[in-house]
Amino acid sequence: MQDDRNGCAGEEGWPDGGGIDFMSVWILRFAAALYLAAAAAYVFYFARPRHTRAASAGYTLVGAGFLVHAISIGFACSEFRGAEFFTLRGGLVMIAWLAAGGFLLLIRAYRLPAIGAFITPLLLMALVPGLFAQPGQSHGIVPEVVRLPVLKLHVIAATGAVGLFAIAFGVALMYLLQERELKGKRFGALFSRLPSLTALDRLNQRMVRSGFVIYTIALVSGTLTAKTAWGRFFGWDLQQVISLGIWLLFALMVQLRHSGIHGRKYAVLTVVGFVLVMGTMVGLRQAPGLTRHEGSYAADRGSSS
Amino acid sequence: MNDVSMVGLSHKSAPIGVRERVALCGDALRDALTALRARPDVDEAMVISTCNRVEVYVAGPVSAARSFFVDRCAESVDHLYVRESREAVRHLFRVAASLDSMVLGEQQILGQVKEAYGVASASGAAGAFVSRLCNRAFATAKRVRNETQIGCGASSMSQVAVELVEKIFSDLKGREIVLVGAGKMGALSAKALASLGADRILVTNRSPERARALAEQVGGFSRDWAELDALLVAADVAIVSTGAPNYVITAEMVQRLMKARRHRSMCFIDLSVPRNVDPKCADLPDVYAYDVDDLEKVVQTTKEARAGEAIRAEAIVEAEVMAFVAERDQRAALPVLAGLRRKAEQIARTEAERTLAQIGASLDDKQRKSVEAMARAIVNKLLHVPTARLKEAAASGDTALPGAAAELFDVDNNDQHSQRPAADSGHSAQVLSMSEKR
Repeated sequence: MQDDRNGCAGEEGWPDGGGIDFMSVWILRFAAALYLAAAAAYVFYFARPRHTRAASAGYTLVGAGFLVHAISIGFACSEFRGAEFFTLRGGLVMIAWLAAGGFLLLIRAYRLPAIGAFITPLLLMALVPGLFAQPGQSHGIVPEVVRLPVLKLHVIAATGAVGLFAIAFGVALMYLLQERELKGKRFGALFSRLPSLTALDRLNQRMVRSGFVIYTIALVSGTLTAKTAWGRFFGWDLQQVISLGIWLLFALMVQLRHSGIHGRKYAVLTVVGFVLVMGTMVGLRQAPGLTRHEGSYAADRGSSS
Repeated sequence: MNDVSMVGLSHKSAPIGVRERVALCGDALRDALTALRARPDVDEAMVISTCNRVEVYVAGPVSAARSFFVDRCAESVDHLYVRESREAVRHLFRVAASLDSMVLGEQQILGQVKEAYGVASASGAAGAFVSRLCNRAFATAKRVRNETQIGCGASSMSQVAVELVEKIFSDLKGREIVLVGAGKMGALSAKALASLGADRILVTNRSPERARALAEQVGGFSRDWAELDALLVAADVAIVSTGAPNYVITAEMVQRLMKARRHRSMCFIDLSVPRNVDPKCADLPDVYAYDVDDLEKVVQTTKEARAGEAIRAEAIVEAEVMAFVAERDQRAALPVLAGLRRKAEQIARTEAERTLAQIGASLDDKQRKSVEAMARAIVNKLLHVPTARLKEAAASGDTALPGAAAELFDVDNNDQHSQRPAADSGHSAQVLSMSEKR
């Protein structure tokens, strides 16, 4: 992701031309258009389940979007020299990309195209800041001191885990809707189009479990990075505290599964977990100074040595 | 348009006692078709024979089709309905599209019509006309299925039960169904649920003999009534239909069971009246309980939805009938038009040649061509309006005009388009409309 760091390490930031001029943003917009078309196809399929071709079209479009998205990320790496992924915008772009990849694998493995109507709009929503916000304001180049291999792992694992939680969130919503139909004895359009409770529950559980494993990797690699950047493994930074809380919540969910907790409670926990993840991701970046994780490495560079 | 006739009886017109006496299958059906085809006034024949209807379609007069029933069961005559020509075409299309079925929109009938056509075709009773008729009927049925929602939803209680269980568990592989009580509806639903691949069906009843009998019937195993609690802990779907006047399965009991099940989801389908499963069970987490009213409500919704869709389906059938009849009539008019044109061109050519033979020597090439062109132009101008009128008449289903034209212009219909001599029928229009038959 940060292949070009050597050549540009000395520069401060990038030209203030605005996001519009960046090649990566244009390519990202193209990818978003593909995702939009995919979402339309999947929603159409959801409304008219007879048209299975719409679902296959959606799948192909997500695949194409995923590739274009990858190209955009490649361009972004060279344009922003890696700093991209330390902003909310870049993080969301990365999460959407990994979630799209996860979604493609999921559809191949489970053949439940109905979930496309719930996941693809989420992908699009994650991309919106990437399309219109100015890429990577303020923080400047990632300082040499945190440019560790483990940081790359941290970024990929963290975004990947959030991507999986996002998919689990969509699936959990579907579960709650279907459960409401079944319990309320309303057997309408939703009832016939949503997959069965068991299928959704199983899928949700697998997403949460694999998301938890990857989140653990993100947490460990993040802690290692903190040691280098901030001088301590755990410094009661708000981001660290909340991340640990989220990790505990998901660990609890994985554990509860073994004691028979499933279905509605599990779906509600998944939704809560994802809302917490997104809440911290967005919220902690709104107020500067709440956490050093938000990108102010320079301030701590001294303490790291 | 005295071409295709249909005589039949169905669940709407005749009691089962009459239907079963005229119903046919296998060799008997083939023999009947051969007998029909052997009649001089029948060109083609097809018999649809299902448990709900027996219908005879013939390319020929009604009397021929009626004889099929008179020969078999004299009292069936009171229950017969008769459709002729366009009405018969519409009837077949409606039957194939399941608009005339006992359960609107059911899927079986199309297969049964296809089978009837297959038998008629194999035994040589169905020819080009019935083949075209049936193919159009199949296409109509397909359109109705694709363009309307007439086949959607569950149309019986057992189907609703299957759909519900499917939406909870996906399938029943590795799961058990327990039948509590030996009610008939319960057995039906259990059989339907077996299609979801349940490992086994266990039957329990207060009287063990009936449990054993029912277990044999549904291909399951019987268990002691005393084991009920244990059975409910192991199984995932319980179908309850006992004759008990009170709740056999109470909310407290289910609460206890769910603990023992470690809260694995459980589905109760209560088919008994009065109810045997406490409705409060449905409020417990991970318990899905439905009674007869819930299932009946779904069946009713499906019926209403299908009835609404039937209106759209009828419109499709009507359009297809019109298209079929128009196409057939156009086929009927074609030989007349072709013959008329051929005859006129022949006259034009002969007359032009005769004129040129007399004065041709004094004319140059350009002038000769003008004479030929003039002859052709006169023919074309004269025929322009009759041609248009004949095409119009054909399209609107009027076969009298093509017949009149054939007579008026003394056109021989027996050209390459019609393979049948126009002799054995009194009215030429009739012959025209059937001219594609062999």
